[in-house]
Amino acid sequence: MIGLNKVLMAGVAACAVFLTPLTSAQDPADFEVMVIANDLTHPWSLVELPEQPLNFLVTERDGGFKLVSELGFIDEIPLELPGLFVTGQAGLFAVSLAPDFESSRELYFSYACGVANANTTCVARGTLSRTRPLKVSDVKQIYVAQSLREGGAHYGGRMVWLPDDTLVLTLGDGFDYREEAQNLQNHFGKIVRMTRDGEPAADNPFPHKAGGYIYSYGHRNSQGLVYDSEADNLWQHEHGPRGGDELNRIQPGKNYGWPIASYGIDYTGALVTPYEELPGVAMPEYQWTPSLAPADMVLYRGSEFPEWQGALLVTHLAGKRMQVLKQSANGWEVVHEIKLAEQQRLRAVTGASDGAIYLLTDSPQGQLLRLSRAEN
Amino acid sequence: MVRMILAFVIAMVAAAIVGSIIQTQFNLAALAELSVPISFDTRISTIIHDLLHFSPMFAVIVAAVMMIALPVAYALARWQQHRERWWFTLAGFIGLLVGFWVVNNLAPMPTLIAATRTWTGLLSMALTGGFAGWLFDRLWRPTPQELAEPVL
Repeated sequence: MIGLNKVLMAGVAACAVFLTPLTSAQDPADFEVMVIANDLTHPWSLVELPEQPLNFLVTERDGGFKLVSELGFIDEIPLELPGLFVTGQAGLFAVSLAPDFESSRELYFSYACGVANANTTCVARGTLSRTRPLKVSDVKQIYVAQSLREGGAHYGGRMVWLPDDTLVLTLGDGFDYREEAQNLQNHFGKIVRMTRDGEPAADNPFPHKAGGYIYSYGHRNSQGLVYDSEADNLWQHEHGPRGGDELNRIQPGKNYGWPIASYGIDYTGALVTPYEELPGVAMPEYQWTPSLAPADMVLYRGSEFPEWQGALLVTHLAGKRMQVLKQSANGWEVVHEIKLAEQQRLRAVTGASDGAIYLLTDSPQGQLLRLSRAEN
Repeated sequence: MVRMILAFVIAMVAAAIVGSIIQTQFNLAALAELSVPISFDTRISTIIHDLLHFSPMFAVIVAAVMMIALPVAYALARWQQHRERWWFTLAGFIGLLVGFWVVNNLAPMPTLIAATRTWTGLLSMALTGGFAGWLFDRLWRPTPQELAEPVL
């Protein structure tokens, strides 16, 4: 009965279209937003199922895993992740489909694992059933980031696949361990790259350090990662402290500077470093000061907004907006900025097969929203 | 009363300045360990930046701690008057240790002030609380010998 109620409520929510007017930096009348689903608990990532267009896998930070249909019907998918640790920023982060998902049905989950005084970021692999009720079987932990830390902050957790079927994962600096982002003997503040089985990719740039996983280093807390297959570019963004959020083009072996070079300062007002630039440190392609807290991004290839083709759509938590960044001769620039009327924190974004943009809000009563062009 | 308020304000400002300079040294030392060059000019400009941007926040923490620690010290000093200065110093030191613990439990991040991540940094920063307590009592209730000392 409870399940039926949930489905009915979700259906009602989906029918209540155009609830929320948008404000845009340009023309508010251009956009409309529809609430697809309500009551998602701090939803974190959003992936469209290829065999069921407009049906989305949604992770929740407390470990929840759901399938949300375009009408807002919600299927709970039981998921048991080994050693899942939920507190503060810790919990279940992203879900990613294996490159051959349609045949293998394999899913990859990034999540915090361990206990309060000894935890880290892990990756587990599981198999999604083909028929309802959906379930994830054969869940196995395949990667544990080195080393364990105390506290519940800065885990990274975004994943993306490269064309050679290697999985790239962002990792945070654990907040209190910021200097370790420069230490190649562990995985704090690194981007790592691994095979489908969780082994280090053979041609990673530091094969003899920290198990050979490190792809790039000097990151603070990265929650946006996109591979542009047309240009063969890996784009990443990361949270700065007070100021200094960065958009980076990730290249193997490069140092992205945290905490020795940053445009941001500490939350206390103190300088983390006196340097914004240093020799040997890759400069961000774009930086946000003051911080907006970028939480996800997608490379838009849809049909609904042809003027945004090839643009990066970036969601922000503290900034409570979605920005559209396009590359020009002068570098990246924000060409659109969209805020919901309710000023909600935006966690995740994806472009779906209908060309529209789907967003997750960050809240204990998080929503799945559909952003499209206004019909008139 | 005016003397007490003046003593309190001067002690807080002095502690905020000393604490700011100390935490700058810990932050720069961490960078130097990563082979980042820190010239004398860079050190001075970092100290000045932190005095302007860190010390106001730190002064608020120290002042909030001292509002509790100093009355406690006064009560203890009435019990053992010959150790009054020690009680104020100790109350400031322990008060700031407790203050850091409280702030870290209230703030969303594990450790608010980066310099207090290590025991050495934590104790050094807490010493500024001891300094604040000592200076407050020195200004508020100087001993007859101290009153007899020339100002300059």
